[in-house]
Amino acid sequence: MADETFLSDDLLRQLMSVGEVDLLVGILSHRSANTVRRAAHYVEKSLQQNFVRQRVAIISVDGGAVEDSGSEDHSGDGQPGNNSNSKGITSLRTIHRVTAAFNGAPSPGLALRTILSASDLLRARGCAVVSPATSSTSPEWVANLLRPAFRDSFDFVAPLYSRHKFQGLLARNLLYPMTRALFGRRIRELYSDEWAFSNRLGNFCLNEDVWHEEPVRSRPEAWMGISALTSDFRCCQVYLGEKPPPPDGAGPDLVEVLRQTVGSLFWLLETHQQAWLERKGSEPLPTFGPDHAVTAESMELNRARMFEMFQTGVKELGPILESILSPETLASIQGIATLDQHSFRFPSELWVTMLYEFAASYHHSVINRDHLVQALVPLYRGKIYSFLTEFSEASASDMEAVSENLCMEFERQKPYLTEKWKAGIEVKS
Amino acid sequence: MRVTIVQGLEQAYYNLVHMIAEFLPRLVVMVVIILVGLLAAYLLGHMLRAVLRLTKLDRVSEDAGASRVLRMADLPSMTELLSRSIFWITWLGFILIGVSVLGVAGLQEQISRLFRFLPEVFIAMLILFLGLVLANFLSRAALLASVNAGIRSPKIWSWSIRFVIWILAISMALEELGLARQTVLAAFSIVFGASMLGLAIAFGLGGQDLARRALERYLGNSTKEKYKEPQPL
Repeated sequence: MADETFLSDDLLRQLMSVGEVDLLVGILSHRSANTVRRAAHYVEKSLQQNFVRQRVAIISVDGGAVEDSGSEDHSGDGQPGNNSNSKGITSLRTIHRVTAAFNGAPSPGLALRTILSASDLLRARGCAVVSPATSSTSPEWVANLLRPAFRDSFDFVAPLYSRHKFQGLLARNLLYPMTRALFGRRIRELYSDEWAFSNRLGNFCLNEDVWHEEPVRSRPEAWMGISALTSDFRCCQVYLGEKPPPPDGAGPDLVEVLRQTVGSLFWLLETHQQAWLERKGSEPLPTFGPDHAVTAESMELNRARMFEMFQTGVKELGPILESILSPETLASIQGIATLDQHSFRFPSELWVTMLYEFAASYHHSVINRDHLVQALVPLYRGKIYSFLTEFSEASASDMEAVSENLCMEFERQKPYLTEKWKAGIEVKS
Repeated sequence: MRVTIVQGLEQAYYNLVHMIAEFLPRLVVMVVIILVGLLAAYLLGHMLRAVLRLTKLDRVSEDAGASRVLRMADLPSMTELLSRSIFWITWLGFILIGVSVLGVAGLQEQISRLFRFLPEVFIAMLILFLGLVLANFLSRAALLASVNAGIRSPKIWSWSIRFVIWILAISMALEELGLARQTVLAAFSIVFGASMLGLAIAFGLGGQDLARRALERYLGNSTKEKYKEPQPL
């Protein structure tokens, strides 16, 4: 049952007036009111066209979005809520709209908890979460996310996108291969802005006592996905389409992204260790549509600065890295940091060994955990520099082969992490 | 004359015997107290060591960076340091009690003054330890933030923070001990003021370009290409 104490009276009143629904779509908070309206419009359109007979509701988690001074986005077929402009089949039922208002933007964790509580109170069978920040959201995206949860009885539906080959590099070089190797399920986009889930999984997560944990507050979707993978819920992936990069300056910087995602992954390794320590190999997930796509247009990046920041990081953070990494791994990293830009390569074996040592050190709390994740940033820059240099001319199929090889390397070295994980901490006296 | 000398010697002999007769039991009592103290100190130290190992203090100390400083100073681990301190403090306390039993004139007052001073010594040590831990934690945070933001010479920021906190902690500890209060206050003001003035002059004279770039960046007039990273997600 939902803990109703944190829901406002106003929200409870709105939910009670809705009654029960079959489907619920949650729209997360965003700074711009126009983008929220556009997302709400697409959601409404999708529900009208694809779920004609179902009772549906939209819940918008509002953190005091600011009204844009510029022109409003008119790129849809009609204005938000204007049903008369929608083409094709339209819903036979009323689409209910609910707003959960907060003073200031709520954390993603609080927003998801609100949506889960609403879903529980409305007894929705399936629920999707979309973000107004994704500019390419379309009515089809919403329908594609909801269908597996509603019609095919899947409990967790992760998205798949078409991306530029140099986009999503953290996911490709760290998050996806490490999650796949350790949890044994090939889920590509665990850290995403859009996903869907069944009421069964929603209620399971709602009853977990982890909502105060920082990784759940900042990245609840990853925790939900891993909970589904490790608790025998049915998971699948669905192809949504192209996900364009956010405009420059939008979203958190690299350090914050690593703190949220890698910090969350390391925390999940610890909280779900019984599920992965003994697991071997990996299995694919049922996938609707193509298994993601990679495009290869040119992209301008300041690589020289990236390499310089890697070298500075290795040099300046020596004592910190010394407490995290084994002497051999640290020596190897210091060795490659002395190479010049043209001959520099960050070997996959070293990258995987290093990450596993970081994960084990996080588990053993050798230094403050937030500092540990921050110490990874310059090393990640080195790996990405190497990746960009090595594969600047690679085709989409080459990129897929590279990604697969890296995943296999993570799987091959998993016993090393298990050994380090189980080993006791050595405190230097 | 001869009789007087003999009587004097006899008196001195009796006095000596009397003093020894009075002193010996006290000496025995002192030795017993010291031996009991040794045993008590050993047990206390041993118990504290076991408790600290159970609570994994060394891990906390490692995490806070205090262990690294101890290693640099060629000191043992935090658990060992605290256990040994308790051992020596306890035994020293018993030794002082034992010595006071001897009833040596003037010594009693000094010992009681020393006992009154001990709490302040403890508080000063605690201030120093907390200052050490805080300085290490914040300087490491500053180092990581500077390195990740691509700021030149990140160690300057890290060391500046460490230095300021150390100075503050040492000043507070000396203040607690009541040692040369005016001198410490004046020294702190001079060192802190001089550091700030030095930084201001260095930034003003040597960092004109840096200041201009910072202002341009702040006001959004920068003409230099902004560092762009590939999208991580």
